[in-house]
Amino acid sequence: MGGQIAFWVCTVMILGGALVTITRRNTVTAVMALVMTFFGTAAMYTLLSAHFLAAIQVLVYAGAIMTLFVFVVMVLNREEQEPWALRGVLTKAIGLCAAAYLVVRICIYLFAGIQEKPGPLPDGWGGVKDVGDTLFTSYLFPFEAISIMLLVAVIGAVVVARIPHKPEAKQPPAEPGSDEGHA
Amino acid sequence: MNDAVVTVQQAGIPAHYYLGVAAALFAIGIVGVIIRRNALIVLMSIELMLNAANLTLLAFARAHHDSTFHALAFLVVAVAAAEAAVGLAIVVGIFRNRHSANLDELTLMKR
Repeated sequence: MGGQIAFWVCTVMILGGALVTITRRNTVTAVMALVMTFFGTAAMYTLLSAHFLAAIQVLVYAGAIMTLFVFVVMVLNREEQEPWALRGVLTKAIGLCAAAYLVVRICIYLFAGIQEKPGPLPDGWGGVKDVGDTLFTSYLFPFEAISIMLLVAVIGAVVVARIPHKPEAKQPPAEPGSDEGHA
Repeated sequence: MNDAVVTVQQAGIPAHYYLGVAAALFAIGIVGVIIRRNALIVLMSIELMLNAANLTLLAFARAHHDSTFHALAFLVVAVAAAEAAVGLAIVVGIFRNRHSANLDELTLMKR
């Protein structure tokens, strides 16, 4: 019974947070709702006995990615005039039909039920030791590859986002109208 | 194991409930990508979709008692972090050059 209540609380947090995220005009509200979704997801990972990934979820998503988003919101401090795309009625109708079809197909598949392995989970399943064993024995190469990918991504992000270094101007700017300034 | 953990495991929410939540989360994410114009919200929706993928992986992990899925989900988290960093850097760069984060105005490649 406790597990049921926890599951439904997590579901409301996840889906409510996600809906608020995509509907708010204010970006800061959207980020905070996103954080609620992340915490709900972490709690649901715990319900699935994935304790290690629940911790990682809180650290990486609710810690790092959320901070990144908040900083970018600070840089891009601008309200949207007209936040919604998709104006045509026909487009909306087609989109709704496609979404309804997808939902029906997913429901048919899901409510047929998933084959679950019976019996309790092994001791310590989903903990740090278990996941670490898997990651550092069978999946060592993907682990190293992902670390290199993270390094490349961080360097790439710095290169893309940094203010381009302007060469020394020979003469003072002639026409102030065209000098927009990149900073 | 202590008793609380065992009780939560045996509360027995079947795997397809989790998969349903993940599918709904993914659907919300894709709707966000399609209908919003703000590049930041679109990036957030992509994060939602990656979360849904992780939830699916972990639901199958418990259903099959296989912690390989956990390693995969860990890699997905790393990819999501890298994607957020690069995506936000691109958004900042675009904003700096064009003073707008509206995706409908970024039509330079269409000409």
